[in-house]
Amino acid sequence: MNERIKALYKTHIIEKAKDETHTGQLTDATHVIEAYNPLCGDQFTLYLKVEDDVVKELKFNGYGCSISKASTAVLAESILGKSLTDFGKVWSDFMEIVNENAKASPEQISNNEYLLAFAAAREFPERKTCATLSWEALAKALITH
Amino acid sequence: MTNHFPIFSKHTPLGQPLIYLDSAASTQKPQVVIDTITDFYTNEYASTGRGSYWPANAASAKYEQVRHQVASFLNAKSDREIVFTSGTTDAINKVARSFVYPTLSPGDCVVTTTMEHHSNYLPWQQICKEKKCELVVAPLNQNGILNTLALEAQLAKGAKFLALTAVSNVLGTQNDVTAIVSLAHQYDVPVLVDAAQAVAHYTIDVQAWDCDFLVFSGHKCYGSTGVGVLYGKTDYLAEMQPANYGGGMVQKVNTIDSSFRPIPHKHEAGTPNVAGVIGLGAALEFLQKKGLENVYEHEQALTVYALNQLAAMDSVTIYGSVEQRGPVISFNLDGVHPHDLSTFLNEQGICIRAGHHCAQPLMQWLDVAATARVSFGMYNTKVDIDQLVAGLKSAYQFFR
Repeated sequence: MNERIKALYKTHIIEKAKDETHTGQLTDATHVIEAYNPLCGDQFTLYLKVEDDVVKELKFNGYGCSISKASTAVLAESILGKSLTDFGKVWSDFMEIVNENAKASPEQISNNEYLLAFAAAREFPERKTCATLSWEALAKALITH
Repeated sequence: MTNHFPIFSKHTPLGQPLIYLDSAASTQKPQVVIDTITDFYTNEYASTGRGSYWPANAASAKYEQVRHQVASFLNAKSDREIVFTSGTTDAINKVARSFVYPTLSPGDCVVTTTMEHHSNYLPWQQICKEKKCELVVAPLNQNGILNTLALEAQLAKGAKFLALTAVSNVLGTQNDVTAIVSLAHQYDVPVLVDAAQAVAHYTIDVQAWDCDFLVFSGHKCYGSTGVGVLYGKTDYLAEMQPANYGGGMVQKVNTIDSSFRPIPHKHEAGTPNVAGVIGLGAALEFLQKKGLENVYEHEQALTVYALNQLAAMDSVTIYGSVEQRGPVISFNLDGVHPHDLSTFLNEQGICIRAGHHCAQPLMQWLDVAATARVSFGMYNTKVDIDQLVAGLKSAYQFFR
């Protein structure tokens, strides 16, 4: 096993890919968001219940690789209970962490180990879309709203 | 065999030997093809069919010589039946737009199959949509073989055209093209055969198959990208309007109207991919020197070996039939997403494909979002497959 693979599939990613805490759907969601990658067919549906700008509940279901599943799970954890305004900062941090052209090192951007687990995506640009799939879809949907 | 292919003398960026298992997407290039293209650009480059000077006439002669070579490779009746295109997709779009589209009236139907690549699916879907026609997608039997009874029922209803692949790029299913074409002709339905996955692997005989059109890409048979072939029966190609208009295909142009050159040139508007065509000539010659029978035998042996190795792993699900299969195997490793698998194997120098393989209708039929796929070329060996199997075993352990 080489070190690059170990770095990409950190324990946190393998763990979060299997974590079903936020798996499911909400019947009273205020937002239903489709995250779909036409290149690989990965697809998640995110159900959010937002009240007074605060994300009260989030569930998701769908199909994807370890990285996209884990990043969706981490997204759920990062946004739950936060106001959308506060979440903006986390969102930008995450995008910078996976951005291979970012000037700052991942550790300079955040100290959240679950966000940092995706930093190896910088070494695997072809897998960056997996890491950002649900994050991008969420931002696009919320901005549209 | 790998000694003919310079890429195999290199190592991957991580320093491993390259194990290339994605020839169904594109084959690697033999030195002779690279040299032929380089030589053409270096020593006698000019465009074709225009200049009356050396090297233009030399280039034109070579270009037409490859047309003759392709005609003979496919056992076409005449060189006029060979049109150079930019690839399979271009060739299918030409037939869809310029041959089939004008014949369609609302309510007509065009038939294709569940195992088609998007390039033999979307052109038909779109013209049917525009003409308010129905695109019928012929179903497969449980083992991934075309259901010919259901196909015949559709043909009998008065289909206008049948577009079918010779070999599925996902399941590897090798269709009995001769029988299917003969069935379609009983109902006067013309047939296009997508030979993209056949051309590098076994002998094509358009007269024996009796197909009306046949298409393939150069880059899947050891040639360069950007070149392909449209074979069409003389009468059909003559009847077909040009899909593109421009230089090189005209007889006479005036401000009111114009006349066009006879086939095949009326279908080749614009400066063609001359170097690509000349490279294709070298690729086909290379294939013929190796002998398609030998290539077929070698790749079939590899496919059977790989199928046996994969079938011996409880964690592997193989899609499609074991019989009548080209050198393509789609599978999934239990609990491991194909993209994770592909990234994992890439770190060991093993190139496999992951995803929907441009065949989403087939993925829906298989009821999977994606599969892993390995496919073989003449340069692959049992050692490659042993490495693959070892890689699959360690991936399984890693991701579980």
